[in-house]
Amino acid sequence: MIHRGQNFYLTLLVPVILVLLFFIAGPIGHSFFLSFHRIIIGLPQLKTPFVGLENYQELLNDPVAWHSFWITVVFVGTTTFFELLIGILLALLIHHRFPGRGALRACVLIPWAIPTVVSAQMWRFLFNDAYGVVNYAVFGTEITNYIPWLALPSTALLSIIVADIWKTSSFAALLILAGLQVIPEELYQAARVDGAVAWQRFCHITWPLIRPALLVALLFRTIDAFRVFDLAFVMTQGGPADATNVLQLYGYKKMFVEGWMGYGSAISVCIFIIVLVLAITYVRMVGQRLLEARV
Amino acid sequence: MMKKLVKKLLFVAGILLAAGFSLTPFLWFVLSAFKNQAQITAIPPQWLSSFSMDSFYSAVARYGIIHYLLNSAIVAGSATMVTISLGTLAGYALARLPRQWGQIILMGILACAMFPQISIAGPIWRFLRFMGWLNTYQGLVLPYVALTLPLAVWILALFFREIPEELEASALVDGCTRLGSLMRVILPLSAPGLFTAAILTFIYAWNEFFLALLIMTDPARQTMPVGIALFQGEHTIPWGEIAAASFITTAPLILMVLLFQRRIVTGLSAGAIKG
Amino acid sequence: MIIVFGIAGFIFLGVKFTWAEEPTRVVFLTWKPNQPEVWDTVIQDFQQKHQDIRIKVQVGPHSSTEYHAIVAQRLKNKDASVDVFFMDVIWPPEFANAGWALNLTSRFPVQEQNKFLPGPITANTYHGKIYGVPCYLGAGLFYYRKDLLKKYHFKPPESWEEMLTQGQVIIQGEDNPGLYIYSAQFKQYEGLVCDMMEFIWSNGGAVVDHKTGKVILDEPAVVNALTFVRDRIIGKAAPRGAINYEEPESLDIFIQGKAVFHRNWPYAWAVANDPKKSKVASKIGVGALPAFSGHSSASTLGGWQFGINRYSRHPEEAWRFIQFMTSHETQKIFALKASLAPTRRSVYQDPEIQKKRAHLKAFLPAFEKARPRPLSPVYPMISQELQRFFSQAIVGRKSDLSEMATAASMKIEKLFKLGAMVQK
Repeated sequence: MIHRGQNFYLTLLVPVILVLLFFIAGPIGHSFFLSFHRIIIGLPQLKTPFVGLENYQELLNDPVAWHSFWITVVFVGTTTFFELLIGILLALLIHHRFPGRGALRACVLIPWAIPTVVSAQMWRFLFNDAYGVVNYAVFGTEITNYIPWLALPSTALLSIIVADIWKTSSFAALLILAGLQVIPEELYQAARVDGAVAWQRFCHITWPLIRPALLVALLFRTIDAFRVFDLAFVMTQGGPADATNVLQLYGYKKMFVEGWMGYGSAISVCIFIIVLVLAITYVRMVGQRLLEARV
Repeated sequence: MMKKLVKKLLFVAGILLAAGFSLTPFLWFVLSAFKNQAQITAIPPQWLSSFSMDSFYSAVARYGIIHYLLNSAIVAGSATMVTISLGTLAGYALARLPRQWGQIILMGILACAMFPQISIAGPIWRFLRFMGWLNTYQGLVLPYVALTLPLAVWILALFFREIPEELEASALVDGCTRLGSLMRVILPLSAPGLFTAAILTFIYAWNEFFLALLIMTDPARQTMPVGIALFQGEHTIPWGEIAAASFITTAPLILMVLLFQRRIVTGLSAGAIKG
Repeated sequence: MIIVFGIAGFIFLGVKFTWAEEPTRVVFLTWKPNQPEVWDTVIQDFQQKHQDIRIKVQVGPHSSTEYHAIVAQRLKNKDASVDVFFMDVIWPPEFANAGWALNLTSRFPVQEQNKFLPGPITANTYHGKIYGVPCYLGAGLFYYRKDLLKKYHFKPPESWEEMLTQGQVIIQGEDNPGLYIYSAQFKQYEGLVCDMMEFIWSNGGAVVDHKTGKVILDEPAVVNALTFVRDRIIGKAAPRGAINYEEPESLDIFIQGKAVFHRNWPYAWAVANDPKKSKVASKIGVGALPAFSGHSSASTLGGWQFGINRYSRHPEEAWRFIQFMTSHETQKIFALKASLAPTRRSVYQDPEIQKKRAHLKAFLPAFEKARPRPLSPVYPMISQELQRFFSQAIVGRKSDLSEMATAASMKIEKLFKLGAMVQK
C-alpha cells in the first residue's frame, strides 16, 4: 500500500500547496526580496537599488525599532502569561459538570468571537478618561481622580495588554479545556480513593497531563502576540511618545505611511524570524512527542 | 459540611467572575446602542435612562449594515467551504504519510501562518489586480483560504491521525475507492474536528479587516469589519451606530457558537493533545 | 419574416444606439463623507447634467493615514481603475513628485486659480504647476464659551497667557470640579502636528527658516512654545488625557460643558451648536487662536482637494466632474447642507450664504491667513518625526527639550535633503 498510497496522498496535498504557494509563500519571498533593496514609494526617481543587508544594519541601529522590539516583548510576555493563567482557571471551571455549563461556555467564547477592530474601539471607549466605565468602576464619581489610561506612557501599554487578555483568554481556555477533557476520570477517582486533596490532584495528575496543551496554546499565542497590530492602531496609534509602538505597527508606518518599502519589509522579515525561532524552540522543548502525537 | 459549602460558594463565585469577566465590557458597550448621543459620552457614565432604537435604525438605514452582513456571509461562508474541502484532503494526506514527510510539511505550513500580514497584503493585492479580481468575492475568499488553511490543516491532520488505518483498509476491501473511504468512513468519525476547523475559519474570515480594507473599495462588496470602520467620519465617531453594528455583527457568531459550542469543545478535545 | 427582420433591425439599432451612447465610467475613490446624502444628491445632479458620464463611487476609510495607504497602493502600481481621488492638504507635493497626480495646469490656469483662496492653491502647487483643485478647507479655530466670558466680563483672549488667566478666574468662580480651561488634540498623530505648529508659529517659530532653508526646531521660539504646552497646558489647563485626544474626544469635552476654550476645525461649529448633541448649544463664540505676546495668531491649514490619476483613461471626463464639484453652486450646497467651508471667494460673498451661514464670514480672516505645514514630497516621513518629537516633548519627563530638539532637527534636515534630491 505504501508506494501507490504515497502518490495518492501527495496528490491530495497539491491544491493546498498551490494556494499557499501563490498567496503566502510567494509574498513572503517577495518581502524577503524587497528587504534587500532601498525603496521609497514617494520618490520613484531614486529607483530601487539593491543594497544588500543595509536595511538590516540600519534596523539594528534604529533606537525606535529597538524600543518597539522591547515593547512587543513585554506585550508578548505579559499577555501570554496571563492568558494561559486565566485560560487554565477558566478551563478548570468549565470542566466541571454543572447546570448551565453550556451557557457559561458560550459566554466565555464571546470575547474571542468579536472582531478585533470592534473590540479595540470598545476598549478605547471603556478606557476613556472622561466617561469611560473603567474609571467609573475604580474611582466612582470622583472625576478628578480619573486616570487617562491611554494618555500616560506607563498605562497605555497596560491598557492594550488588558484588552488583549480579555479577548484571547478564552482561546487559551479552549485549547486547555481540550487537554483536560482527555484526562481519564479514573485517574482522579483513584487519587481520591488514595486520599489526595484537590491541590495534590492538580499537581500530580492535571498539570503534567495538560502540559502539552499548554505548550500548544503557548505556541499559537506567541505567534499571534508578536504580530499584534489592530489594538495598538485603533487605541493609541502607537503613542503616547511611542509607548505602544509595537513592531508590526512600526513596520506598517514605515511601509504604508512613510513609503519605506524595503525597510518595512526588513522589519516584517525580522518579526518572522523571531517567531520562527521561538516556534522551533517550543517544539524542541516539548520534544518530538508532540508532533508525533499529531502527525 | 462547612468545607463543602465553602467549596460550593467559591465555585459559584468563580462562575460569576468568569461570566462577568467575559460579558461585562461587551454588554456595557452594546448598551450604548440604546442610548442617544449625549448619554453615551455623559460624565459620569449613565445607565439606560431612556431607551431608544435610533442607533439601530440609523445603522441599518443610513449606514446600510445589512448589505455588509450579506457580503460577510458570502465571503466567510465560501472561504470556510473551500478551506474545509482543501484542508480535509491535505489533512488526510498528512495523517497517512510517513512521519518525516508529514512533520516537514506541517512545519512548513505552520511557517506560512507566521508572517506579518501587512507585508503579505501588498503582493496579494498585485496578484489580484493582475487577475482582475479586485473588488470581487473570489479576490477576498482566496486569500482568506490561504490564511486559514494552516490552522485548519493542523487540526484536521490531528483528527485524522486518531482514526486507525484499519478502518480504511476494511472499506477498501469492501470495494470503496480511496476517496470514497475518506468520504464515507473517515469524515463522519471526525465530525468534531471538522466543526472546529470550520468555526475557526468562519470566525477568522468574518472578522478579518486588513486585507478586506485593501482589496474591497467598492461599497457593494465591502464586508462588515470594513463597514464598521467606515462609520467613522471626518472627526466624528458615531458611538451609538458603531455599538449597534457591533452587536449586529457579533450576534450571528454568538448564535453559531452557542449552537455548536459542545461540538467545538469536543472537537478540540477529541483531537487528543496527549502527553 | 418581416416581423423577424423588423425585430432584428430594432435590436441591432438598439445595440448600435447604446454603443454610440455608452457613458464613460469615471471612478471616484473617496472616503465616507459625514453627510453622504448631500454628496449623493450632488453626484446625481452631475450625472443628470452630463448624461455621457457615469460616476462610480468607491469608499475608503476617513482616517487620513488609511485613506492615503489605499490610494497610494493603486497609484504606485499605475492602476487605471481610479480616476478621481481626494488629497489631504499635505499630499500634493508627494503625489506630484511621484507622478501620481495629473498636472492640471493646462486645465486650471492662474486666472481660475485666483478665484480660490490663496492658501489651498499654494498647497496644491508644486514647482510652479498645480496638481489639485481645493474642495473644502479647514483651519484651526478658537472656540470659547461666550456665556462664561460674558459672566466674568472678559473679551476673548488674544494671548495664551491671557487665556490661562481668564480660565483660572472662571474655574474658581464656577466651582465646577470637572471644568477645564482648554481642550485640544495632543495624541501622537497628524493632528498633533497641526496643534503644535499653531503654538510654534504663534511664538514666531517655524520648522524651516524661509530664508536659509535650515530646520530650526532647536531655536528658543520653538523650545519655549513646547515647554509652555508641556508645563502649562497638559494636565493643567487641559486634562492630562488630552494626550490621547483626537478631534472627537476633545470636542466631547467642550460640548459636555467641561472646557471653557477649545481648538478645532470649522466642522465643530455645527456640532457644538446642535442641541441634540451639545449641552452648550448657542453659548459659544469662535475666532482666531491666541498667540504669545508680541506675535500674531496662526492657524494650520487643512482641507481636501480633488486630484486626477495620471494613469486615468478618462482625464477629460474626470476634469468635468471636478469642475462641477468645485463650482460655485456645488460649494454653496456643501456649505449650506454639509457645513463644509468653501474654497471659492465668491461663495463667501453670496448673499444666501451670508444670511444662513454668517459664521463663515467670521472664519474668513483665519482662512486667509492659514499656514500650510512643510511642503515636501517626503512630508509623511517628516510628519512621523515631528509627531514623535512633539509627543515626547509634551509627555516627557525629560526637562531639557533643546537636546531633543537638536536631534529632531538633524533627522528632519536629512529628510528634507532626501526630498530635495529629486528636485528637477
